[in-house]
Amino acid sequence: MTPNSNIVIGVVVAIIVVASWNVGADPVEFVEGIPNLGIVADEIVTEIMDVDQRMLERGVWAMIETIQMAFIGTMVGYVLAFPMSLLASRNLTSRWLYVPVRALLAAVRTFPSILWALLFVIMVGGGPFAGILAITMYTLGFVAKLQYESIETVDADPMDAAGAIGLSKLQLIRFVIMPESASHLLSHLLYMFDYNVRQTSILGLVGAGGIGFYIITHIKFFQYGKAAFFMIVVLVTVLVVDWISVKLRDRYVVKSQRGILGNQNQI
Amino acid sequence: MSAERSDGRGALIRLDGIWAAYKKDSYILRDVCMAVKTGDSCAVVGPSGSGKSTLLKLMNGMMVPHRGTVTVDEKRPVRRDRMFRSERSSIGYIPQNLGLVRNSTVMDNVMMGALPRMAHMKSLLKRYPVEEVENAHRILERVGLEDKADRNVYNLSGGERRRVAIARAFMQKPKILLADEMVSELDTTTSRIIMNMVREEQQSTGLTAIIIHHNLELAVEFANTIVLIKDGQKLIELSNQNNKVVDFTVGDMSRQEILAMYDDAK
Repeated sequence: MTPNSNIVIGVVVAIIVVASWNVGADPVEFVEGIPNLGIVADEIVTEIMDVDQRMLERGVWAMIETIQMAFIGTMVGYVLAFPMSLLASRNLTSRWLYVPVRALLAAVRTFPSILWALLFVIMVGGGPFAGILAITMYTLGFVAKLQYESIETVDADPMDAAGAIGLSKLQLIRFVIMPESASHLLSHLLYMFDYNVRQTSILGLVGAGGIGFYIITHIKFFQYGKAAFFMIVVLVTVLVVDWISVKLRDRYVVKSQRGILGNQNQI
Repeated sequence: MSAERSDGRGALIRLDGIWAAYKKDSYILRDVCMAVKTGDSCAVVGPSGSGKSTLLKLMNGMMVPHRGTVTVDEKRPVRRDRMFRSERSSIGYIPQNLGLVRNSTVMDNVMMGALPRMAHMKSLLKRYPVEEVENAHRILERVGLEDKADRNVYNLSGGERRRVAIARAFMQKPKILLADEMVSELDTTTSRIIMNMVREEQQSTGLTAIIIHHNLELAVEFANTIVLIKDGQKLIELSNQNNKVVDFTVGDMSRQEILAMYDDAK
């Protein structure tokens, strides 16, 4: 360890201490708070034990609504992101186009989905539609960035060859860019859906539909047990979605990528 | 050196006093003159880094010379020029790295050669005209890949990939074929098979071929003109009849001197 890295560690620790004092984060309070958690946990366990069928149905339906919202938002955002990512790719357009498009996408990304949701609740009123719009915007900003980055890694050789043959720009996109980045594009879609199911679960906090509405309502009325039940529904769903997306990725994405990388030396 | 060849009026491809560079003031080609007549089979040989690939890129407009003029069929090849775009679709180009789309099928790669002459919207939907599909199958049969039309390119061997690139070039219905080391790294038998395909195409369609060779033997066997380039300058241009170098003496250089020079150059 060099003296320099000691200084860096010292400075970082000092910043953490000063910042904690500033915002009032006190480890003692944390330790003192642990018994509270025990009380809540006790309540949660007893309440979950007597979850009735009505509650279960409500949880499942709320989750189905959440998944539908996430699905629509992901798909629409993804489809809108594709043309944007083409406009933002350095290897496809000129500086005059990709710089402003990238700036726009960066601006879209600065808002977390919950802020988009607030905005759309104001615009179209509360409910799932506002949530869908929020997820769409968030997906658009995020996926477009992932996509233009993977489009920029497409091998220049087939692009040059296509240009030499005399393909139009759209033909180039259709016959070179899309197949060469297809596995990335699919992987982004799976990742984004997975992520959006989690995100949509909390949009109810601002009234934008989904299961989050029940969570926040029960917390407001100090019904931690009921809130926990809905959280467990989210947890189970997220695990299942995660598992499915891993399976799909293994089946379609990893295989085709292995194909690309595996034979590279044979060219 | 062979002034009467280089000046070549009425030639299909003409390079006149070409200076070309990727970076300013470091010229890859210096004062190169060259002429290729319709139906010629021209081999370009020389050590790596001598500017052979640059020569081909000048001929299809992927690169523009700093000084000098390039004319292909009385036109100037310029990449963004719309006038030249239709021209370019009839110049078959096989780059050194082949430029295949690895995640697409053999068929889609070959079909790329025909895309510029198809209806635009239909081509984007991959609704290929029937006659083009038949055409592609015929070409694949000729290069021996008819049973691999639906395979992805990444599953093919090096030799098979070269055949795909050749099939794509033939699919362009080319008047000119520019090939950059299309048979290097292949064994002699496969090289001969592939070179014979090009020769057959030349005999049946009057195709003009400019092929960069790594192997002088193959160049002598298949070309009727051989151009030797070293350090960005054309050293000699030989004409070859009946697959033997007849006027192997150029100026006051003997056959041995030329071969020695080629070996030195390598």
